[in-house]
Amino acid sequence: MIAKAVKATVAVMIGGVLLNAGSFDVQAEKDRQALVKYFMKKFSDPVKNRGQFFPYATEEDMKNIMPVKKVEDFRLGSYAFSKVGRSQYEEINEMPPYEDDIDAGEELYNGTKGIKECFPDPAIAGEYPKFDEKQGKVVTLSVAINDCLKAHGQKPWKLTKGKIADLEAFFAAKSKEAGKKVHITIPSKAAAEAYERGKKAYYAQRGYLKLSCANCHVQGSGNRVRREYLSPLLGATTHFPVYRLKWQGLGTLERRIKGCEKNQGENPHKPGSQWVSEILYFMAYMSNGLPVDGPDIRK
Amino acid sequence: MKRNLNIATALALGVSLSISLSAGDAQKMVDEAMKVDVAKACDVKSNGLETVVATAAKFNPAAIELGVEFKRLGIRNKEYIRGLQEALKSKSKTVTLHYKKKGKEKTKTFPVDYAAERACKFAVRALQQVREAEKTWRLAVPGDGYKF
Ligand code: HEC
Repeated sequence: MIAKAVKATVAVMIGGVLLNAGSFDVQAEKDRQALVKYFMKKFSDPVKNRGQFFPYATEEDMKNIMPVKKVEDFRLGSYAFSKVGRSQYEEINEMPPYEDDIDAGEELYNGTKGIKECFPDPAIAGEYPKFDEKQGKVVTLSVAINDCLKAHGQKPWKLTKGKIADLEAFFAAKSKEAGKKVHITIPSKAAAEAYERGKKAYYAQRGYLKLSCANCHVQGSGNRVRREYLSPLLGATTHFPVYRLKWQGLGTLERRIKGCEKNQGENPHKPGSQWVSEILYFMAYMSNGLPVDGPDIRK
Repeated sequence: MKRNLNIATALALGVSLSISLSAGDAQKMVDEAMKVDVAKACDVKSNGLETVVATAAKFNPAAIELGVEFKRLGIRNKEYIRGLQEALKSKSKTVTLHYKKKGKEKTKTFPVDYAAERACKFAVRALQQVREAEKTWRLAVPGDGYKF
């Protein structure tokens, strides 16, 4: 009886896959689910999991690391689990330093030629990066904004900070207000290939330190580099643009990733390049289903 | 005579640096880098300064093409190499490099032998790592090679 029910379920599941013929996200979805499982297990009970997941943690670190109970909490980066980090974060967020930027972004939205036509619904922060079938490539939100400006005869903006970050802050705030979730799609074989390249770039060790992003943000997440706790890959893109105290201003994902590449001892790839857009595509897919939570603050 | 040779080498290096590589050529350079023992090939005492700088200049363009060029202290490896080539020309014992940190102009001076060894290792290792990563990257992917 049970066997029969199982068989029926399996048949329905397989049917589902077939119906979805052209489900190019099968592998990505597998990757995402495994990553969620990994982080939920790692942070479910840090004290119990210390030997397996936090081998370098000191007693003091262990006192600082809180369990993470809800997957949504990973949108907070290292503040999902760092007690000290979280309390400083909450304190700063009482008077968010990015509110003027959201206003500036709204003015740019209303006052910049073409922008409203390209983005009639501003609550789209969770939809990017996107695979653009016509161009056959991944476009990040920053790149899409610049493509729009160029299509309307305007000069493109800097991809890392300034106007682009302000406009993205407005998009993110609108998306958050509307309760949007990260929703990255893989609509074709070419898109799946771009995703795979992004994934490989994320996990490949590089630079004179021979580190991969994953060394720090998957296996290393929850451990400490100097005084900073390393944030998880899960949730890494949900809250951009970010106001960093170190920058004393807002920056896009393109800006953030550049700094991390430098830390690896590599000459950073250009913002807007295929490499950067594809690695961000992979990273954003990993956060599918998490709430859009930008703009936000980070140290 | 020796001096002329230096200039010739420097010129040749300058030319080879300015040629940009196709992706296929860059992959061939990865194959070639795999045959290099960096500890031996980048040792200035046993090979001489020119040869070590030449090795750096031979491999680094492929690292640039593949997007894996090393950067240390805010200085790209190609900038170390350019500085070294100038030092060869002027027979200087030191290399002075200019770079920007947080928008400010800075300079740093290194002994040539040290800088040459570095530049050579950086150029070759960047390419070797490309091949090594082919084998190792999946080992870090949860649900794939990484078990937990
Ligand atoms: C040597 C360790 C290290 C490596 C390698 C590294 N990072 Fe980071 N990264 C950090 C540190 C430290 C921070 C700041 C603390 C934090 O939020 O994790 C950070 C922050 C980030 C953030 C911001 C997270 C947030 O919550 O806002 C992103 C995104 C990021 N890194 C992406 C990457 C990518 C992509 C790579 C590979 C190209 C990479 N990092 C490689 C150390 C590293």
